[in-house]
Amino acid sequence: MIKYLFGTVGALGGMLAGAWLMLAPFALAYQPSGAAWTEPTYTDFWSGLAILVISLMGLTMYVLDLLGELRHRGIIERREEPETQEGQAIGTRAVGGTQAGSAADVEQILLPLVNAMLEDMQDQRRRREANGASQGSADPNQELDPERRVQQ
Amino acid sequence: MNSQARIGLVTTMLMFVAGIWLFLAPFIMEYQRVGEDWIDATRNDMWTGSVLMAISALAFFLFTAFALRDAAARADERRREEEDSQKSG
Repeated sequence: MIKYLFGTVGALGGMLAGAWLMLAPFALAYQPSGAAWTEPTYTDFWSGLAILVISLMGLTMYVLDLLGELRHRGIIERREEPETQEGQAIGTRAVGGTQAGSAADVEQILLPLVNAMLEDMQDQRRRREANGASQGSADPNQELDPERRVQQ
Repeated sequence: MNSQARIGLVTTMLMFVAGIWLFLAPFIMEYQRVGEDWIDATRNDMWTGSVLMAISALAFFLFTAFALRDAAARADERRREEEDSQKSG
């Protein structure tokens, strides 16, 4: 892991050197202020800019690599995105579970009601059958409607 | 070694090349004539170039050395695990 620190420090040194090259013509006064840029100024400025950009790129790469290594070793926490996605998936599962649970609750609540209705229907059928049997033996108008029976 | 580390090493090598360029630039760009006293710009380029070369060479050398050490340690660890699994199996 220490190798990334060496790379990072080297890239940082390169950045400083590049920045110095860009400023040196003015700092060391071999570029008169206000005058057109001389040949050494052009060379130093553009060389410094190129070195600065290259070093910045290297620094970024070394730091990203260092962070990846630290994450791999568990020294710093992993990125939140996968956990968030996992959390969302768990949330979805939990919502699904809640829906399934609420359906089961509704079923549990309705079950006694449905049982009571079934019992009522069976009772009514039994009564009708019993009435039908008694009327069939005594009454010839067994096929009449109950209303007509009442009217009679 | 992953791609990011490779890019980092390439940038370190480019820094070394830039240091060489700074050494040669005064003479290539002809603002320093050979045999004459060095002007301020040449001195600055020489010092900055030498510092850049030293930093990049040191970073490259140390990074490579420690990367090799890590690779050797990983290989050794893998070999031990294989030996342990063969013994247990």
